Amino acid sequence: MNTIIVPALKIEQGPGRALFSFAIKGKEIQSIASISRVKRHEDELVGYQRPEVSNHINEIKRYLESENPMIPNALVIAFNSSVKFVPSDHNKSFGELVIPIIEGDDSKPGLIVDGQQRAAAMREADIDSFQMPVSAFITDDSQEQREQFILVNSTKPLPKGLIYELLPYTETKLASSLQKRRFPARILDELNHRKDSPFYQLIQTATNPSGLVKDNSILKLIEASLNEGALYNYRDAATGTGDIEAMIIVLCNFWGAVSDVFPEAWAKKPKESRLMHGAGMTALGQLMDEIFARYHIDQQKEGVSREQFKQDLEQMKPYCHWTNGTWNFGEDDKVKWNDLQNITKDIQKLTNHLLRKYRMEVWK
Amino acid sequence: MKFFFPDSHDYVDPSFNFETEKNNEHRVIQRDDKYAHELFSKPVYDGILVSKAIVDGVKGVQGRYSVAQRQRFFREGIYRFFRLPKHYLTMGDCGAFSYAKEYEPIYTVDEVNEFYSNSGFTYGISLDHIIFDFETPKKKVTGKQLEECLRRQEITLEKAEEFLIKNKDMSFAPYGVAHGWSPESYADSVIKLQKIGYDRIALGGMIPLKSSEILNVLKCINNIRNTKTQFHLLGVNRLEHIAEFSNYGVTSFDSTSPLMRGLKDDKKNYHTATEDYTAIGVPQVDANNNMRKLVASGSINQNEAFKLEKACLESLIGFEKGVVAKKEVLSALTEYEKLYNSKASRVDLMDKVLTDQPWKKCPCDVCKDIGIHVILKRAAARNRRRGFHNLYVAYEKLQSELNKMNQVK
Ligand SMILES: [Zn+2]
Repeated sequence: MNTIIVPALKIEQGPGRALFSFAIKGKEIQSIASISRVKRHEDELVGYQRPEVSNHINEIKRYLESENPMIPNALVIAFNSSVKFVPSDHNKSFGELVIPIIEGDDSKPGLIVDGQQRAAAMREADIDSFQMPVSAFITDDSQEQREQFILVNSTKPLPKGLIYELLPYTETKLASSLQKRRFPARILDELNHRKDSPFYQLIQTATNPSGLVKDNSILKLIEASLNEGALYNYRDAATGTGDIEAMIIVLCNFWGAVSDVFPEAWAKKPKESRLMHGAGMTALGQLMDEIFARYHIDQQKEGVSREQFKQDLEQMKPYCHWTNGTWNFGEDDKVKWNDLQNITKDIQKLTNHLLRKYRMEVWK
Repeated sequence: MKFFFPDSHDYVDPSFNFETEKNNEHRVIQRDDKYAHELFSKPVYDGILVSKAIVDGVKGVQGRYSVAQRQRFFREGIYRFFRLPKHYLTMGDCGAFSYAKEYEPIYTVDEVNEFYSNSGFTYGISLDHIIFDFETPKKKVTGKQLEECLRRQEITLEKAEEFLIKNKDMSFAPYGVAHGWSPESYADSVIKLQKIGYDRIALGGMIPLKSSEILNVLKCINNIRNTKTQFHLLGVNRLEHIAEFSNYGVTSFDSTSPLMRGLKDDKKNYHTATEDYTAIGVPQVDANNNMRKLVASGSINQNEAFKLEKACLESLIGFEKGVVAKKEVLSALTEYEKLYNSKASRVDLMDKVLTDQPWKKCPCDVCKDIGIHVILKRAAARNRRRGFHNLYVAYEKLQSELNKMNQVK
């Protein structure tokens, strides 16, 4: 088997956390590491990188080909355990990394965690001796790779949707804004990939671009309910997580009932149905919390059944115009069904309308 | 005499750790937090007052409540939302100050009614429009100014009439609002409100008035008030006049003043029954606005500031534990103070507080719980708790005034 052997420095950052620092010819990177593209295999998330941005790559390429280029920040590579560190005799921290080279693109020993654009530029550029600094760690654990990827990239603007989709598959401590989203993102992931969920494959994410409802709309409604509504009842304040099964049941019962009561509006493109639109999702999310509160009395563990949700939603039918007609928000405020926008003002109007009608006509 | 506390999201995070200065990162704001009535083992108010404007916001400006919080407020009603035991009273008002600049009130009577009855208030105050002017012997209200006062008084009375008519089906007890620009005009309002049928009347617009002016108004009204008429003083907190107020038919008042002074007052922000103290400033280098400006402009070195800030906190905590001498604490404090305070040093005031240690004598739950931290002027976790302590002291004062009154009788 062919190998590349490079002098390397071993840096111990904690028990079992070793980092290797070395340099490698820019052109050789492609033979030891590949890029892990985010995708799904049978509802299982694999990979984590977004597609390359060619403009950005061309800029780096042009710079690399300039007279005296310098790239001080290292690539970050996650190696699998086929890569070995051989310490030198006198000092355990110095030694050599032995990296096997494997033909073909599939099973390179390394995955680029940070620096995919730079790596691509080096592949394309007309350079031969440029040495690139690399920081590497060795793990066979794809979760650890993902975590490093998020940690390294969360300061740069990665597409939010991609981060949210990766979040449930991590455990490490992240920036608190991300930390807070991890649990809601996990619920979303379950809703989107359980076959018995009314949202099965309906939520649009990085790996499910054909989904109809925007991931952000669902995340927002889950978060709102965790903080202010039905899901709060199943939440664990100490950890920010909770009884996820009970939460999924509430969500599936309610949205299942929505799909029963409004079949003409369910699973349509947002253009054809305001229900599947950010405004409809947010407002109905609030209605879920409202209906839940009507049936769920304090100290009573029982949830609310699909039938109960359905019964109340049926009575709301006359006031809803998801796919045609006009919303009647008040005497001087009539809005054509498809004039409703996903903006704060419209969302509030719709929410107020649904909740007022519910309180006045159903709950009483 | 009942004291109402006007709430505007005044709660504290019970998970805040005063030594590490961290809170539980998973906390849900408001739901996992504690209000003053949850923090103290005995009441510090008889009821709370909540404004529609605080909950709903006004014209394009969001209120203090998030959209989801507001919906839960309506869903749960005021008692469940505030986790307020049923024996507390609740009062709703419109928050006239927030729309005082508008030509007319921004709500309708129906909207106000819906707000009060959906939320389950004990009392609801009718829709009003603030009058800003007040006559003094030197400065009469005349001309255009007088016209505007009259117009606003008229609006307030009209709304009060409509409010009372529609109150028949409502679950809360109504208050009419009297506004005026002189004792006589206040009396006119009260006469009309009594005629409309009110026996509960709130007196508005008195916050900027001197105590003597308020008493003059009450004296004048006293001549025409029906014996069963009860008054509520909006936003007024003059505990030293409780007995007089009571003689003139005042049965309740509300004020945020004790809390606000704990948060904002520069000199007397920690109250006791006998004396008011100054809190010890230990501004946060990375969160205090003034400090941030000083760092950003390069006038102080950030590392140096961090070091001094930390030294202050450590010596204060050490002082509380009895392992650091007062002298050392004061030298750390003055050293730090030089960085951020270009005015006269407050070292004498700080010395006084550290000598008297008033928090050690205070029986309130906040002081018992957080000790010396209550006297540190440093971010909401401490400042708002100090405000709560002041509420406790104010309510105790009120109770002792009321006891004195009863003994006289
Ligand atoms: Zn106290």
